[in-house]
Amino acid sequence: MREKSLVSHLGASLLAGLCLTDSLIAAGSDWDFSWNGEIYGYMSSMDLIEDSLLNPDNQIAQLPEKSASAEMRFNLKAEWEMLRMSMRPILLAQENRNEFDTWQERDAYLSQWQIRLQAAPSLGLSGGREVLNWGPGQFCSLASPFYFDNGRNNPLRELSGVDNLRLLWAPNRSQSLSATWITGSGHDQADIWRDTWLLKAEGRGDEWAGGLVASGTPGLETFAGLYGQYTVNDALLVYVEASSSTLPETLLSPSDETQPFRLESPSQRRTDALLGTSYTFDSGQSLIFEYIHYGHGYDAEEAEAYFDRAEASLLWATQALAFSPPILGQDYLYLVLQSNPLETSGYWRLMETHNLTDHSNKLSAYGEYQVSDSITAFAFAEISEGGVRQEFSSLYRSALTLGLKMALP
Amino acid sequence: MKLYLQWLLTAILFLANGQVIAEVDAQQLLKTADHARGGGLPGIVWEIDLTTQKNDKLTDTQRLEVRAVDDASVAETLEPSRFRGSKLLQVGRNMWLTRPGLSKPVPISSRQRLSGQASNGDIAATNYALDYNASLDGEETLDGEPCYILELTARQKKVTYDRVRYWISVSRNVGVKAEYYSLSGKLLKTARFEYGNSIDYNGRLLPFISMMTIRDALIDEVTTMKFGTVEVRQIPSAEFDLGAMQ
Repeated sequence: MREKSLVSHLGASLLAGLCLTDSLIAAGSDWDFSWNGEIYGYMSSMDLIEDSLLNPDNQIAQLPEKSASAEMRFNLKAEWEMLRMSMRPILLAQENRNEFDTWQERDAYLSQWQIRLQAAPSLGLSGGREVLNWGPGQFCSLASPFYFDNGRNNPLRELSGVDNLRLLWAPNRSQSLSATWITGSGHDQADIWRDTWLLKAEGRGDEWAGGLVASGTPGLETFAGLYGQYTVNDALLVYVEASSSTLPETLLSPSDETQPFRLESPSQRRTDALLGTSYTFDSGQSLIFEYIHYGHGYDAEEAEAYFDRAEASLLWATQALAFSPPILGQDYLYLVLQSNPLETSGYWRLMETHNLTDHSNKLSAYGEYQVSDSITAFAFAEISEGGVRQEFSSLYRSALTLGLKMALP
Repeated sequence: MKLYLQWLLTAILFLANGQVIAEVDAQQLLKTADHARGGGLPGIVWEIDLTTQKNDKLTDTQRLEVRAVDDASVAETLEPSRFRGSKLLQVGRNMWLTRPGLSKPVPISSRQRLSGQASNGDIAATNYALDYNASLDGEETLDGEPCYILELTARQKKVTYDRVRYWISVSRNVGVKAEYYSLSGKLLKTARFEYGNSIDYNGRLLPFISMMTIRDALIDEVTTMKFGTVEVRQIPSAEFDLGAMQ
């Protein structure tokens, strides 16, 4: 049995929330308290590739082939005049199984929390653990230094916040400026963002919105990011995200496959960009198309050498798996067809990702169906197309998750 | 001679009636009517119970809390419970949706309607006086109540409807009926308004919207919005900041 975190953490988050509630009720004050939550139960199955070069016979990663999960996600909120407190505790219990082992994971943590004071109509102060993620990009978030995969590839995945103190100045509805100090990387991460500063300026007009981001992390060069969107008409939206950055570490894959991998820390400065457009039909369904250039990824020769090395040695395969960039290639296309996300009766989303560097494909689908007022059934499926030397088909052929979620109270 | 006198009298009456119509400042009338639907106020917070019926069958119910100023609004879903905490932010023509647990706000289009016939603009404050040029197009008695009929034409392409015919009560100065048309002149939907609420604004008690019923012109679909717990107050700009949405 593997325990991901101390069992004593279990319930600590909820306890904190309940204490907060009790204190507020005891105070008998004008606090406006509210809470809600969701209970998830889902089962996942993954069809692993036995002759994978990165994970032969699942010996290296020992990925679960089957898993059953129960999860509780709560939202607690208390407001009193200009003061607002919120927290999002999460409790997770999971049983995983593969041909080697069966093991359990339990985790309880505050995914997000915040204390916010509206000190003046245009000035807000806040502290807590927040998901500092922005920009219109769906495939990835290039304009935020903290998150790359924003979870859109897997709608079940929940991002956890980074610990921060923030000052927000919003003199009017079309402009805002925020200064943020990161005090820690939040839950269950290497503490790589501690003592990061971040400045963000946002502007909004009738048809456009955009922002500029600059941040500095000890040991890394300054991050510069931008994002913007333009509403052409009531159906068409065009948008962009871009950044120039160095990563805390990156695995270099020289084109000459006889050379070993080299871990570079920090990485060279690279530029990433995302161009996207969304078209909404009269029915409310929308078609989204994105092109992504990821400067920190491998070109075709480097990607080929990456798999050659993994094939040559189990040690190199381990390195390849452990330190690879978040996406292997440099150029991607991402296509989404989705139903109107505002509809309360159900939601579906089809996603196709094409790696232009190695030409592998991944087709994903997510759907929600309203069973009753509080219960929703959901399913998430992925199918990969390509060979073992291609990114999307390097580890598994397909994956399926089926589950139910129940809204509380 | 008698015939000439009759014509003369008719002409005088016609001109006199025209003079009365011309004296009505259509734009000012529209601005006053906007107040009763949240327009031109420093800020408004209200709860909306929204139901949609299609072919006499209930297809959707939602309860929302809306905070709105001018062209900006934030609508937070209170019911159904599975959508509680979802927020829809609108600033100008820009709209974003976020939910607890979502990694970041998602931009959405005005074609992605909130429910049935209710567009996202219908839950926000109404500012027809800013978005449309108004002209008087006659008078009509509606349910026993004399009304001016205003013809509204969009000042710019950004608005949801290109043309609106708007019935404003002569005695109450509130909009009681509207017809919404496309650019090609096709009737898209009609709406009726009731004013059972009141607000205290600038020391005066003003009638305020309590119900809006929207019917599709082509299909049998009706969306009803009931407006409750209306509060007029300043809303900090930061509440319309994307960063404050999550």
